[in-house]
This record gives sequence, structure tokens and C-alpha cells, in this order.
Amino acid sequence: MSKINVLSRSRLRARAISGFLRHFIGHGGAQLGLVCLGFFLAVAAMPDTLVGPLETAITATGDFLAPPSRLHYLGTDEVGRDVLNLVVHGARISLTIALLATVISLVVGTTVGITAGYFGGLADVCLMRVTDFFFVVPSFVLALVITPVALEAMGAGGEILGFRPSLFVIIVVIGLTSWAFVARVIRSQTLSLKERTFIDRARVAGSSNTSIMLRHILPNLVPQVAANGALVVANAIYIETSLSFLGLGDPLQPSWGTLLSLAQRSGAASVGAWWYLGAPGVCVLTVSLAFVLIGNALDDTFNPRRRVIP
Amino acid sequence: MNNRSQNTAPPLLKVDGLAVDYATSAISLRAINDVSFELRAGEAVALVGESGSGKTTTAMAIAGLLSPNARVVGGEVRYRGRPLPIDDDALMRPHRWSETSVIFQGAMNALNPVHRIVNQIAEPCILHGMSRGEALARATELLALVGIPADRCSAYPHQLSGGMRQRVMIAMALACRPSIVIGDEPTTALDVINQAQVLKLLVDLRTRFNLALILITHDLSVVAESCDRVMIMYSGRIVEDGTVAEIFAEPKHPYTRLLIDSIPTPGEGKRMLRPIPGDPPTLVKRPSGCAFHPRCPSAMEICTTEAPHLKQFGKGRVACHLHDSLPAADKVSANA
Amino acid sequence: MSRRIGGILIRAVMTLLMVATLNFVLFRVIPGDPASLLLGGARISVTAEQIEAQRQTWGLDKPLFPDQVIDYLSATLRGDFGFSFKFRGKHVADLILERLPATIALVGLAQVIAVLCGVMLGVYAGWRRGGAVDHVTTGISLALYSTPSFWLGMLLVVVFSTALRWLPGYGASSPGVIVGSFAWLLDYLWHLALPVLAVALGLIGQYVVVARAAMSDVVTEDYMVTARAKGLTNRQMLMGHAFRNAMLPIVTLVSLNLGYVVAGAITVEAVFAWPGIGGLTVEALNARDYPLLQGIFLLLGVSIVIANLMADLIYGVLDPRVKQ
Repeated sequence: MSKINVLSRSRLRARAISGFLRHFIGHGGAQLGLVCLGFFLAVAAMPDTLVGPLETAITATGDFLAPPSRLHYLGTDEVGRDVLNLVVHGARISLTIALLATVISLVVGTTVGITAGYFGGLADVCLMRVTDFFFVVPSFVLALVITPVALEAMGAGGEILGFRPSLFVIIVVIGLTSWAFVARVIRSQTLSLKERTFIDRARVAGSSNTSIMLRHILPNLVPQVAANGALVVANAIYIETSLSFLGLGDPLQPSWGTLLSLAQRSGAASVGAWWYLGAPGVCVLTVSLAFVLIGNALDDTFNPRRRVIP
Repeated sequence: MNNRSQNTAPPLLKVDGLAVDYATSAISLRAINDVSFELRAGEAVALVGESGSGKTTTAMAIAGLLSPNARVVGGEVRYRGRPLPIDDDALMRPHRWSETSVIFQGAMNALNPVHRIVNQIAEPCILHGMSRGEALARATELLALVGIPADRCSAYPHQLSGGMRQRVMIAMALACRPSIVIGDEPTTALDVINQAQVLKLLVDLRTRFNLALILITHDLSVVAESCDRVMIMYSGRIVEDGTVAEIFAEPKHPYTRLLIDSIPTPGEGKRMLRPIPGDPPTLVKRPSGCAFHPRCPSAMEICTTEAPHLKQFGKGRVACHLHDSLPAADKVSANA
Repeated sequence: MSRRIGGILIRAVMTLLMVATLNFVLFRVIPGDPASLLLGGARISVTAEQIEAQRQTWGLDKPLFPDQVIDYLSATLRGDFGFSFKFRGKHVADLILERLPATIALVGLAQVIAVLCGVMLGVYAGWRRGGAVDHVTTGISLALYSTPSFWLGMLLVVVFSTALRWLPGYGASSPGVIVGSFAWLLDYLWHLALPVLAVALGLIGQYVVVARAAMSDVVTEDYMVTARAKGLTNRQMLMGHAFRNAMLPIVTLVSLNLGYVVAGAITVEAVFAWPGIGGLTVEALNARDYPLLQGIFLLLGVSIVIANLMADLIYGVLDPRVKQ
């Protein structure tokens, strides 16, 4: 390939990217989503600076289940901890879990999808059978049976990579159970890419299968991975919140779901402590809505004919 | 107005100065401009042009089927002397199919996949006043007419071949005994053999029922066998209008000539394909003056600044500065 | 047709086999002796004879493969899922059957309401795309779609139960009502109202999004132009041509969704202490009652497979193209 060709190609790519960004940023849903997401990422990045270290029952300063006041903007929980403090620290935990689980899910899903689509034949049949299973059985249901067993097998003490074991298990389990959707999309995209001439050219030029998959197919899958990745994050937040709500989270590193679980156990709903259950819920709603909006906007920008959301 | 105005019968359809815009969020784009022509009962007219030339917009405007983002910004359409409310969906409804029907391109998509073909043909009959029994009988009769065997009447579209589906579309177009049938590239999606058969069927049925036919096509070779008259459209305007014989023997507009030259002729060997140089103009970027001038082999100074008007010229009409003042024959040969 | 059904059945059996395999493997990953686990784990004292008997019934003294696998599968097929840890001496199957009706009532009612409202709203929004109804409906639906349904449930309790005192937010019956009487039925439905609303609201959001997308696709199809050209009114076009075609993807998605509905119901039941499978799941989780948890998992697997089979059957009726 000549130098000029490479140059013009990179310029073409740059123009395509800037055109994409203009279109994407012009999307009303994307703007809203990005603003919300930016806010929560900023909060999650520096919880200690914003509200001080995570309060415990011992360091708690407020009354029990006190409504919002100037002292505690979001009220207190059943042991007198500041709800704002809990929610801000929860942001870091919830977002980390969701994002790491998404990374696992995207890696597994993309690998399975590319492999099945590229090699076809028996590999395709076997991989897609497995994918079918994970596609029909919700990852929440799978996580529900796998998580407690994994916790039991690993023991509940110590930390793994800075996470309490239960959170680590939740990350891995969500990641390993929610990739089927991604794999399907990637596979069909790979199938159509495989027919394109530049793949043949690479093959004739002597590239190995791995290098074709990594250097020629994978870059072209970025739009699909990105659009679906945003939806996978939303789903991961949902699963994490539900699992933690059922008591599989870790009270020492409380995510928003764990806070909701504590609120439920303390009977916050029946005594009308709306601030306690409202704050983490609104956070979950906002972040997951932000990812859904971003995902839809990405999908819409890459794929303008099939618009799901205006 | 032209030679046909000498006939005593009023034209079946009279289009006068029709202009249609497509509105996008920011701008509105002119799709067709100053389109005027007449159609007599039983006459077959071809509307020929490249994609984007406005031929489909013209036809859909006549049928009152413009998409929601289209607006009629000028001119009118008269049917049997009365103005047609082409931009009013509700007022057009009684007219649709009973007076003007359409044979759509690509019957696979134009037929509803979940309904049996016989019911799809009977549907407009019921809508326009027949009983269910009558309508089904009429549908069966029409299917026989286009050569679909009786045992296939209750088939679903996907169970038929491409040629048969297009025949079903033709049968459907005849359902309410319309006086105008619009064929929107009715044979484009078919293979050559089916194309010839479907075209022949269309021509036969047209003569038999004295239908006026507006045939939209980009393929001039289809026109010769099936139409009386040809209108060439370019960039939203009619650039030439004449009888089939005239147009093929002596095309006046340079664009028409190039179109005719580009028809592959068997036996001509190497020179088979001669595409017209340059790209057709888009709605967004339309050249100044005569829209064809950037591609025109005989373009003059005036062509870049001034749009030519469609003028009576011999028996037909043409919009070209080459024919502004001088007598036809000399000018054409001088620039050939 | 028969080939298609064959493929569907093979897929169903595969899914169930995977569920069973997962159960088999998980149970043997847990530290400790499976036999004592089956009898309630190390948490309760059991005699050596009991363990031995259990070992024999389950064939735990035989090699892992193939004997244990076969024994496990045949026990599963007989409906023998072992004994619960928490509810000592009770068969898992009995416990599940006892709690099943309450969940069916909750999930069934919520699903019916959500399908009716969600599909109707979504179809209308997609039909009148870009209109005021579309914008409002889609906005609310996206918010509902992004909200965990158990949190909706908690909000409903705060508003309608705690603050307004209109509806009960806890349990399935009032004390003193005779089970089986008409008053009991009314009372049951009375208690069911908020849980059903919580599950249904979340689903409505989802179905509106799906139905709207399906309808927006149908509206751009060529046969809709044909229908318009024939002189059909908007209403006739919607009912006669658009609706049935839009239903095709909706049917698939709604029935594929059953697993998610049950999953959502589990958390909602936990909020309302609703005596169904969800409540049972929470108890099983808290007590680490693995046999019970796996029985529930198997039940969910079976119901998902059944839902898929039903989707395929309905699809075959709605779409003539699959009957080849």
C-alpha cells in the first residue's frame, strides 16, 4: 500500500470520526446521557473529597432515619449514617462493578462472536448453541444460583484486587453470563464483513487468521461493540442492583443495590423514609437511563434507518 | 396547448405547472418543478429519467400518494376536468384505486406477507362498495386473467415466484376498473424472460380495457414496445416530450440523444455500453441554468445561466436552448 | 414444518440439559460432603446412618461419571430435587409447588396488563411517530425501562401504602379471612394490586419500546404504501395491515421475556413479602439453601423453555412464511 493511500485513508477515517461525533453530540438523548454520566463519573472519582470517608455505624453522626435537613441533605439511615455519604460512595462501587462486568462481557461476547462468525462450521454451531442458552436464560437468574455457590467456594474474607470477595464474584458472574447478546450481534456482523474484499486481500497477502480477526475485522466491529456496550452496562447495573438487593452484596462496600437492600430490611418504605430508599434508586435510574440513551444514540448514529428512540 | 388539444374530448388527466418540495428539518428541496402534461384516455405515456429525476415524485403526486414530508408548492392536477385534491389524504381516498391504481416495483415488498393474495386483491373492491362474495369472485377472475392458476389463488406472496407476484400486482391494479394505471418500474426487479412476459401482459390488458398507462422507467428499451408517448425528465423537469416514433428517430434534447445512444444494441459489439458521462445532479446541488449543462456535449454560454423553458417544437415539446430560435432539423444536425 | 418443530424441540432439550448440568456441577463445587449437604449441610446434626442412606439414594458412592450423572438426571426427571436445608425434612419439589400459585398469579396478571397497555401504547406511538403522544410515551417508557421494578415497588409502598393508606404493602392476606371464600379472593387481589403494578410498570416500559420499534419498521414497508394507494383509511391500514406484521417481533420478544419477568418478580416479591417463588428464593439465598435454590433454578429453566415453545407456535400461526 502506498504512503499516499495510507495518508488519505487515515484522513478519511478522521473525517468519518469527526462527522460521527458531530452527529452523535447533536443527538438530544446523547447530550442528556453524557451529562448525567459525566456527573456520576466525577462523583465516583473522588468520593472522599466530596463527602469524606465512608461512614460506618461507629462513625455515624446523625439521628436514626432523620429526614433531609441542613446537616444531612439526604437524611440519615437506620443507624444514623448520612445517606448522601453512602450514595456517593455507592456510586464508585456500583459504577466499578457495572463497568468491569461490561468489559468482561464484551471481551467474551466479541471473542465468541468473531470466532463463530469467522470460522463457521462446527465451531460456529457449538458456540452458538452455548450462546443460545445464555441468551434465553437471563443472566440475573444464572447469577442468582452461581453467586452464592461461588461465594461459598471462595470464602467471604479478605479482598481480591481491592474488592470484597462477594463484589468480585458478582463482577465475574455478571460478566460471564451477560455476553450472549453481544456475541450474536458480533457474529452476524463478522459474517457480513467476512465477505468483503479487504479480508480476501489480507488472506492472499498471507495474514494469519488471528491477525485478520484482530487487525481487520475487530476495528470494523467498534460501532457495534460501542452501541451494545452501553446497553450491557445498563443491564449490568440492573443485575448488580437486583443481586445486592437480595442480599448478595457486601455491607462493607455498599453499592446502591446494597443500600436499597438495607433500606428494605430496616423497613424504610413502611415508615415513609423516602429519602433513604429514594436516593440510591434515583441514582440507579439516572445512570442506567444515561447508558440506555447513549446506547440508543450510538446505534442511531451508526445505523440511522433503524431508529429505536427519537 | 399542443397537438392533442385539437381533439374534442377533454384530457383524462391534465397536470399544470406542478411543483413539489421535500421538506427536511432545516431546508426544503424542490423535487419537481413546472411539470405540465396531458394524458388522454387509453394513452400510454412513459416517464423516463435517471433516479432522482423526479419521475416517481410526479407519478406519486398524480396518485395523491406523496410522502408526509412532501408538499405541493405550485400547480394543479385535473382529472376529467375537475381539480384533484392531491395533497389531502382524506379527500383523495375515494379516488384512489377506483380511478388511479399503481403497480409497484418489487411485488415481494409491495404485497403484505401475512395476507393471502386473493384477499389482497379483493380488499380494494370491498372498500369501494362490493360485497365480500363479489369481491372474491372478481379477484379470482382477475387472477385467472393474469395467468395465475385457480389453485394458487389462496397462496401467500412468498409462495409465488417473482414473475407471478408481479402478475398479482397487475391483477390488483385492475381490481376496481381504474382509468389510469401507474406502473412504477413494474419489471425492473424481474429477470429478462419474466420482464418480457409481464410487459406483454401489461400491454395486452391496457388495450383490452382501454387503460391510460403511465409507465415509470429508466430503461428506454422497455418504452418502445409498450408506450405511445415518452416524456424525458431530468433534475425535476420534463426536458422532452414526444411520440415514441419521433423520440427514437429524431431526439431533440442532447440528454435524450445520449439516453438513446446508451441503449445496448445487440450486434454492435464492442461499443455496447456507452454510459452518459458525469453524475446526475442531486436535489441539494443543482447546477445553475439548464441542470444538464455540466454533462451536455453541446452546452453553450447561455445554458450555464438561464434555464430553458419547455416549448412546443414540431409535434412534441423540448426544453433546450439549442432549439430556442432556429428551425429544428438544422440545429440538431449542426450539433450532432 | 416438522423440521422446524424438530429444531425447536432440540433447542428446548439442550437448554434444559444445560440447566441440569449447571445444577449438577454447582452442587459438587460447594465445599463439603454432598450427602451431608443434602441433609441440611453442616448446620444441623445428622446421624451417620442418615448420611449413608442419602449416599445410596443419590449414588454418591459411585463414580462421578457416568453413574452419578445418570442418577442425578433420573432423580431430576422424577421430580426429586432433594430436601431443603431451611425447611427441614421438606421436599424441595413440595415447597416449590406450594409457592407456585402466588407467583403465577402475580406474573400472569402483570404480564397480561403489561402486554395490553405496553403493546397498545407502543404500537400507537410507532404509528404516530414524532407526535406528542410518542414523545411523552417514549420518554416515560425509557425511564420505566431503566428502573429496577423492586424500587418501583418500594416507591409504591411509600406512596400508596404508608402515606395514603389506600392499599396494603405487605403479605397476601389480612388476618381472619377464611381461605377459599369470596371475601378471601377479594382480599387476595387487594394485596396483589401493588406488587402487580410494580412488575407491570417495569414491563410496560419495555414493551412500549419494543412495540414502538416494531411498528416504526412496519410503517416504512412498501406494502403500507400499497394499502394507502388502495384507498384505505388510516385506521384500516393500522388494523388490517400494520398491526399483524408488527405483532411478529413483539410476540417473540414478549415470550422470550418471561425469564426476565420472573426475575423481576423475584425482587418485587421480596419487597412485598409476597408468598411466592421470589420470597422463597430470598429465603433460600439467606439460608444458603442450595437444593432449594437449584430446584427454583430448574423451575425457571423449564418455564423459559415452555415460553419459547409457545412463542414459536404463536409465531407459526401469525406468520405464514414459517409454515413451509
